[in-house]
Amino acid sequence: MIKIPTRVLLVDDEKDFVEMLSLRLEEVGERVTPAHSGQECLEILEKDNIDVVVLDIKMPGMDGIETLREIKRRFPIVEVIMLTGHGTTETAVEGMKLGAFDYLMKPADFDDLAVKMEGARKRKDEQEERIRKAEATFLLRKSGNI
Amino acid sequence: MEGIRLLLVDDEEEFRGTIAKRLTLRGISPEQAASGEECLSVLEKMPMDVVVLDVKMPGMSGIEALHHIKEKYPKTEVILLTGHATTLDGVEGIKAGAFDYLSKPIELDHLIGKIKHAYDKIRREEEKLKEAEFREKMEQQMIATERLASLGTLAAGVAHEINNPLAIIKESAGWMKLILKKDECAEIPRKQDFDMALNKIEKGVERAKRITLQLLGFARKDDSVLAELNLKELADEAIRLVTREAANKDIEIVQEMDIPGNTIWSDPYQLRQVLINLLTNAIHATGSGGNITIKLEVIGEEVALSVQDTGQGIPKENLERIFEPFFSTKSPGEGTGLGLFVTRGIVEKLGGKIEVESRLGHGTSFCIKLPKYLEVKEGLAGRDHTDILNKIIKMG
Repeated sequence: MIKIPTRVLLVDDEKDFVEMLSLRLEEVGERVTPAHSGQECLEILEKDNIDVVVLDIKMPGMDGIETLREIKRRFPIVEVIMLTGHGTTETAVEGMKLGAFDYLMKPADFDDLAVKMEGARKRKDEQEERIRKAEATFLLRKSGNI
Repeated sequence: MEGIRLLLVDDEEEFRGTIAKRLTLRGISPEQAASGEECLSVLEKMPMDVVVLDVKMPGMSGIEALHHIKEKYPKTEVILLTGHATTLDGVEGIKAGAFDYLSKPIELDHLIGKIKHAYDKIRREEEKLKEAEFREKMEQQMIATERLASLGTLAAGVAHEINNPLAIIKESAGWMKLILKKDECAEIPRKQDFDMALNKIEKGVERAKRITLQLLGFARKDDSVLAELNLKELADEAIRLVTREAANKDIEIVQEMDIPGNTIWSDPYQLRQVLINLLTNAIHATGSGGNITIKLEVIGEEVALSVQDTGQGIPKENLERIFEPFFSTKSPGEGTGLGLFVTRGIVEKLGGKIEVESRLGHGTSFCIKLPKYLEVKEGLAGRDHTDILNKIIKMG
């Protein structure tokens, strides 16, 4: 079976980390777009189709929570997994309340990340499916009325 | 006045006897001495609160005796008895540290009053001393707490900074492992060596990660693992990690672990940390060529794991303090003074206790007793936390 790649946007200000995790994710068949700031993340979401954003919470400039809020406002269907550092459990909870799919503590376990990414991707697929169905019903009803 | 220890010193036996008798009637039974010399030898055997001391005695004079008393027993108060015409002696005596003086002939009530005052003064001094000790102890505790707090901040900062490069190392090693598994790499020479080394890197990162998490105080319940673990294997692992250090000092580590029932349910990582701490301590305490025995016993529903060394032993006065945070006999910079403190914390968290026995010159034995089955208590912070998160997910 051919794996359908998840389109991942990896956001972290640690360039080496982004580079290595991207290589590793691509090696297992995901498609990764790197970004190094919240701003860059939003710009990419604007033009590319992304399934899951893996988002570092602690970044200079626009931090993870701010970025998350913006993502959920502008691209509500995109799923977000947060990467948190120490003492940021409160931030993790806040992020979950804002609509993040889940969080992982750095340095995260690759298998954990894979499982959570799969879950996030699934939730997005299902949501898209529901939207499609709703749209179809809507269209049917509309055409029925004519 | 109850329990006051009084010594009456006078060379005139009759006078001394009368006063002693009358004092006894009033509830104070004094010891007696007939000379300055005798007074000192009594004091050597029995500590006294108050000494009533005649100034004019053959041999050692009262003033001389007073000097000796004040030098050797500064807490003892002295009331001088002077002749009627020699108040000068009394003044001299007060200058030398006497509490007060009375001129002969004395009135008993007067004497008792003075004794009482002297005794009150002693008690006040004692209280002051106790208070000072208490305050000092409090201050030390506050200093320790502050040290702990600032150490915590520093440790958290360091741990956080280390986590980032750790993540990079981890992903790099993981990526290389993935590449090695590809068909295109099936034939590369010495592939097994690469695999082995990459596994070591990953294991090392895991260990470092645990340390940083522990430093962050983040080794919470949901990070701690409960598993059935073989104590012999755990000991093997811990010993392997300290082998080099032991070999450097030519110390042999003997295992007496091969007994049935050497598996328990507990947290393997934390327990390994405990063993490493105890073994490292034992190695530091043991001289070249000594040996360390790690021994397992099963006692009912408990296991007892002991680490015994042939080191110099721990002096009695230190034995009570070794589990205190920051207590260390190593020079600053070498020991944090946190090792045994953390060790005891872990053992107690795992439902066990730690005991120590030591004989100077023979060695020390630390024994940890653990339940075979660690009961999972309700309301584990970590689990609750996950539940809350799950609820939030469902709500979202």
